[in-house]
Amino acid sequence: MIRTYIKIALRHLQKHTLYAGINLLGLAIGLSGCILIGLYIWHELSYDRFHEKAHRLVRVTWAYHFEDAENQTASTGTRVGPEFTRRFPEVEAYVRLLKYPRVLAVGDKMFEEKRFLYADSAFFGLFSFPLLEGNPATVLDAPEKLVITQSAAKKYFGSQHPIGRSITVGGTKEFMITGIAADAPANSQIQFDFVGSFTTLNAAREEKWSEANYLTFLQLHSPEAIGPLQAKIRAYSEQVGREELQLSGNNYMTYQLEPITEVHLYSPLDGFEPNSSITYIWVLAAVALLILLVACVNYTNLSTAQAAGRSAEIGMRKVMGASRRDIFFQFISEAFLLSLLAVAVALFLSFVLLPSFNQLAGRQLEQELLFQPLTLLLLLGLCAVVAMLAGAYPAMVLSGSKVIGILKKGFTFTGQAGLRKGLIVFQFVISIFLLIATAIILQQLSFIQNKALGYSKEHVLELPIDAKMSENYDALRDALENLPGVRSVAGAYEAPTHIGWSDGLTALESGKRISINAMPADEHLVKTLNLSLLAGEDFTQRDIQLADPALQGDNIQYTYMLNEAAVRALGWTPQQAIGKRVAKGREGIVRAVVQDFHFRSLHEPIGPLAIFMDKRLAGSFFVKIDGRDVPATLARLQGVWGARVAHRPFDYKFLDDSYTALYKAEQSIAGVFTTFATVAILLACLGLFALTAYAMVQRTKEIGIRKVLGATVADILALVSLDFIKLVLLAIAIAIPLAYGATSKWLEGFSYKIGLAWWVFGLAGLVTLLIAVLTVCLQALKTARANPVKNLRSE
Amino acid sequence: MIALRNIYKWYQTGINRTFILKDIDLDIAEGDFVSLMGPSGSGKSTLLNIIGMLDEPSEGEYHFLGQPVYQLKERQRKELYKQHIGIVFQQYHLIDELTVYENIEAPLLYQGVKGSERKSMVADMLDRFNIVGKKDLFPNQLSGGQQQLVGVVRALIAKPKLILADEPTGNLNSAQGEEIMQLFKQLNKEEGVTILQATHSEKNAAWGDRTLHLLDGQLRA
Repeated sequence: MIRTYIKIALRHLQKHTLYAGINLLGLAIGLSGCILIGLYIWHELSYDRFHEKAHRLVRVTWAYHFEDAENQTASTGTRVGPEFTRRFPEVEAYVRLLKYPRVLAVGDKMFEEKRFLYADSAFFGLFSFPLLEGNPATVLDAPEKLVITQSAAKKYFGSQHPIGRSITVGGTKEFMITGIAADAPANSQIQFDFVGSFTTLNAAREEKWSEANYLTFLQLHSPEAIGPLQAKIRAYSEQVGREELQLSGNNYMTYQLEPITEVHLYSPLDGFEPNSSITYIWVLAAVALLILLVACVNYTNLSTAQAAGRSAEIGMRKVMGASRRDIFFQFISEAFLLSLLAVAVALFLSFVLLPSFNQLAGRQLEQELLFQPLTLLLLLGLCAVVAMLAGAYPAMVLSGSKVIGILKKGFTFTGQAGLRKGLIVFQFVISIFLLIATAIILQQLSFIQNKALGYSKEHVLELPIDAKMSENYDALRDALENLPGVRSVAGAYEAPTHIGWSDGLTALESGKRISINAMPADEHLVKTLNLSLLAGEDFTQRDIQLADPALQGDNIQYTYMLNEAAVRALGWTPQQAIGKRVAKGREGIVRAVVQDFHFRSLHEPIGPLAIFMDKRLAGSFFVKIDGRDVPATLARLQGVWGARVAHRPFDYKFLDDSYTALYKAEQSIAGVFTTFATVAILLACLGLFALTAYAMVQRTKEIGIRKVLGATVADILALVSLDFIKLVLLAIAIAIPLAYGATSKWLEGFSYKIGLAWWVFGLAGLVTLLIAVLTVCLQALKTARANPVKNLRSE
Repeated sequence: MIALRNIYKWYQTGINRTFILKDIDLDIAEGDFVSLMGPSGSGKSTLLNIIGMLDEPSEGEYHFLGQPVYQLKERQRKELYKQHIGIVFQQYHLIDELTVYENIEAPLLYQGVKGSERKSMVADMLDRFNIVGKKDLFPNQLSGGQQQLVGVVRALIAKPKLILADEPTGNLNSAQGEEIMQLFKQLNKEEGVTILQATHSEKNAAWGDRTLHLLDGQLRA
């Protein structure tokens, strides 16, 4: 029996190639959308679940309230891990991590490595990063030991055996390679190519609560311990705050525990790798479902529309004794067959599209994932769901019909026409919604990209500075600045795109203390970044002498430059601020007030900032070049670099790129949305195209008669498309408020955002309407132009 | 075999009833070959459909092989129908997507006949009606007469006791019609199949043993 069903289904598909093709293509496109999003979601949900001890690993985060400012960070001091392990029996072990870019050299091979981790010796015991060689317990148990990944081993040593060999780190220290690890899986918040022993660091010699630069992970003896331990930690950190850090009044600090499996999607605090958000996962899942529904709707619509053509068959089968269940089963198996074919096509499409999707979503999903037994099994399930979703309604209608009626007159489609219209509206609501959402996301991203930040980020290169280079700071800076094509060069602690250093600043006169972000810089920063001063003047040679390291200790004085927000917080006008004495570790005077600029992502409002003069702390040079012949300027810079900085490669970043990287999550969601909005519209139009084709077949006679009576082609097109235009208009009316609500909710996450302009909504509606009309007319034109005599004769 | 008593069929149009069949009493014995004549709209098809259990009357009783049809459960009625009744249509109603062979085989599928048995039954029929050569053709590759022949064969495949034919030759030319009639006569004589055919044509009606006349929903002797 099944064989007959399959046979007749296949023959039916062959006979109606256009409709079958549209059904197949539509389902396949919808399914591949689902597959890709499914892979992405699966990947996101799988973060750090592969650790054998995942359920009892936690990350410690730090929340503190100093001087009116609430702060929360994933970084902790060096004391947290060891002290918690000693004090709380629930904690079995700890690992502190520091990620720090280092220059590594073996012989003449030298690279800057960004994925260099320092980790405590328990690293390979806590986390399930398999070691191919070396003993997990001892590979990191002493200073200057190093574990490298398989790929890193290949990069530095080729086919040679790396164990026991040494590698120069940062131009000074020799590390001994003690182990080889498998490459870290992509679905981990802990990414590395090299893991050096934590005890190598100077910071490891003393345990401190402050100087929070390290991620701390704890291994608990059981998952249930988290709750009680959290309570103990709260009480304990209160005590530490009072007794050791002398916090009083409103000020407090506390440590919190996050299960490692929840860091990626549920934590607002980024560690070394950017987090994602569970909200985006839900949104994507919803989009995938909507796309699938749109594709199913096409199937349902086309099948009910075509049912008329199958009435004779169904009637006859009933005459031959088929029960309602037989007929229902026949049509469901037909739907199942088609969705099986669609799944095959979708698998192929996904395979081909995965690399581009990865680029879009900023992930590394592997093609092999598509062909795992579990994936295939899930797809088979999905296939059944699609078959039921798309096929159940037509199957029910067709099997429930009365024999006599359909044999005599064929199907009459009064009820189904209403349903079909409803489904078309539904499809277009989804399409328009996605279109508007995409437009708004892109608008906001372009707003961010082009927003006047208060400094100029165009044509600015960032070059790293290390301790060795600091010795020849001025000579190197001058050499770079004197090159043709270079406008100016400044040194600063970090890039102005994201100033992370947080600190406190006290006005000595009033004693008022505020939380502030701080950045040490040299005297060239203002002109290099084109900052504007509201009052006072730029750092001068005299300020440099005040901060001269030769002065030693307390004689060193800082010169400060505050932003407007800081001045406001201290209760001054810009003019009043000049010359005031302030202290941040060291005392000094306010030399200038700089206009507010965005030194964090636009998700956050601009907070107080202090720039202070100290070039010893500079971590990067910022090189402003003119935009002419960039490659030549880069080549010249590289020449100077090669001659003067032998111990590290010429490795630069453009400031615009660092800025763009701040919005990685938004970029990737925008990419995904753009794709799937396009897919949804494509599918909806595909459905419309097929339905028009069908309506044309049915109305051939009517159109023939109308033409004989004198109707023009335009009249016919208007007649046919008007039906559909009404539906799209209704869809627009429904989609706009939905899209308005959703997008304004999304924009709430930004402190600086676009206003929602009505024209965007109008335009999205208009574009959709135009595409729909075009689709209908394209299809209707053929019939409308045909010679009526021919149509009438064939009837 | 067939006993109809006081069969009425009407449609409610507003407050009026439009009668299709009025007070039909009819007995057909096993082995009869009956022709039903009447102009268009006289109710021939409706009467045939009621006898074929594809439709139900508004009122009245129907006994088939001694069983009260309207007191049977749906499933029992379906069994009765599947085993004993074959129907031939004016428009043939072959399934376009199936070959001749598959069309003939189709009723057996719904009766749960096993694969090997099905094969031999269909092969017998193809052989008997000399259409073995056409078994892999699709309906649209056959002439009208050939299509109707397949229609008849399909109705016969399950060895029914009763064949209902609604204007079986209506779409055929006279030579083709003649052949079909001959076939009916042969089935009736040699195998004792009861035949009830509705027809417009006196000539075709004459093939039957007796003729019933239907006018405005009523039987005239």
